[in-house]
Amino acid sequence: MSETQPMVFVIDDDQSVRDALDSLFRSVALNVRTFGSAQEFLAAERSDAPACLVLDIRLPGQSGLDFQNELAASGIDLPVIFITGHGDIPMSARAFKAGAIEFLTKPFRDQELLDAVMAGIERDRARRAEISNTHELRKCFASLTPREREVMARIADGWPNKKVAADLKLSEVTVKVHRGQVMRKMRAKSLADLVRMADKLRVVPTEKS
Amino acid sequence: MKRQPFFRAIRAATPVLPIATAALALGIFLADSITDLEIAVDVLYVAVVLMSASFCQRRGVIVVSAGCMALTVLSYFITPPGIEDTGLINDGLGLVAIAATTYLVLRMKSAESAMHLARAQLAHVSRVTTLGELTASIAHEVNQPLAAIVTNGNACMRWLARKPPNLAEATQALERIVKNGERASRVIERIRGLAKKSRPQDERLDINDVVREIVGLTETEIQQSQVRLRTALADGLPAVRGDRVQLQQVLLNLILNAIESVTSMSRRAREIVISTAKDKAGNVRVSVRDSGSGLEANALDRLFDAFYTTKPNGMGMGLAISRSIVEAHGGQIEASPNRPYGAVVQFTLPIDRAAQGHGRKSSRGWHGEFPRYESKKRSAIAGSGDPRQRPPANAAKASDGVP
Repeated sequence: MSETQPMVFVIDDDQSVRDALDSLFRSVALNVRTFGSAQEFLAAERSDAPACLVLDIRLPGQSGLDFQNELAASGIDLPVIFITGHGDIPMSARAFKAGAIEFLTKPFRDQELLDAVMAGIERDRARRAEISNTHELRKCFASLTPREREVMARIADGWPNKKVAADLKLSEVTVKVHRGQVMRKMRAKSLADLVRMADKLRVVPTEKS
Repeated sequence: MKRQPFFRAIRAATPVLPIATAALALGIFLADSITDLEIAVDVLYVAVVLMSASFCQRRGVIVVSAGCMALTVLSYFITPPGIEDTGLINDGLGLVAIAATTYLVLRMKSAESAMHLARAQLAHVSRVTTLGELTASIAHEVNQPLAAIVTNGNACMRWLARKPPNLAEATQALERIVKNGERASRVIERIRGLAKKSRPQDERLDINDVVREIVGLTETEIQQSQVRLRTALADGLPAVRGDRVQLQQVLLNLILNAIESVTSMSRRAREIVISTAKDKAGNVRVSVRDSGSGLEANALDRLFDAFYTTKPNGMGMGLAISRSIVEAHGGQIEASPNRPYGAVVQFTLPIDRAAQGHGRKSSRGWHGEFPRYESKKRSAIAGSGDPRQRPPANAAKASDGVP
């Protein structure tokens, strides 16, 4: 199942460094793919698996730091570990600010790199879980009727049933029925659970005139 | 008979001048001997000494001067008798004049060679300074293989630590270690070659190799400045003769100038093109063109002057030294505007053993302190007939008599 196997991407313009990293990652049973340039990486088809990117700061035609920004801008949210021949403090500061996991100076200690890669993969895995979680929630939310959504927004905001009923011009009993439906469809175990979901989905009560 | 050492001392240049000088000396000797004793024709030997200075080394000048003095004395004895006192005084004055002229010529010669030496040292200093500008490149060039070595070493250990150990992968990692070690040592060798202070070599060179090597060394610099460097190297170029390191210094200067020029422009494509070709005159031409800020018209004339610089921190020696080197190789260097923008600096080099007319121009340049190098070139120029027809063994012989 290579779909779920974590993956390490390496972008370095130097063939010999690429070969070395390839061997190192394979020796610890990590899947690895290497690229000579940012363009090659972007052009390649990437499997849907937790991954992290080992990126040389100096890339042909473009700095790795710029590429990091470009990736973030185009919605590819991969954890990045920078490797560089000569790192200076402003460079590493910029990298960390843009969310880099680690900034290693060549030649680096293999354990440091592997630790960083593991941390990166872990972060990506968590992010992916988070995304699929939100995805799941959205699906539940989509199954609500418009009325149920209105009710959910209000009770999640802490309104008592009576106020919800008044606002939506419904009877209190009807609100209670809707409320039960919302809890069931959203698979919320408690009101607190529902509040957290509403928060994640950014569901807020809209003004009723 | 007396002239024998004189001829040995001259450096086989154009034979016209030594022959004219000898003829003049003979003429003066005859005039001095035929005319009356008191007529001081011998003072004219001063001209012979001065002429000899243009094609003789120090020793040659001394020999010529001694010869002239000997002729003066000889004339004194064979001239028809006249007024003894005046004759003696005039001859004495003639001898003093010859001696004084010789002294001055020798002083001039030593000043010249001091200048050549100073230039050579300056070239070395400038090369080392230029290399200093490449520190980042050089560090990167050495660091890459080192990083690969360390990583491969670690990978190798991990392959071996597996149960069971993966010997095939471990061996491959070791092979890569060896390869990268060799790569690092080649880089160091190249840098050492450039930083070394050595006498100029005179070897057969493929100009494309020279270009490729220096491009390899500046690669990182180029990448870091986000410049695109293209090479358009012509196939089947004839070999040139010269000093690899010096020619690389010229290229290095031109490339660094080009990088500086293109990086000063923010909006344009940053491009440098190095091309080699054979020109109409049969020379090899190397051009470095950039899409940078270009050259101002009034800068063009002074570009190759020493201490002329358009950069705030420049020393103004790079192009001056480049010109010296190119001219010492019998070539020419020139700068012109590139279209649509930027500049192109190109230099020509005569192909191996070809007699090029402008080779002689180099007398203003470099080779004062490189007698071996120059003498070979000069003898090729001086040779009668088409030197291309001459077998190499003969060419080597022509330079044998050089001190």
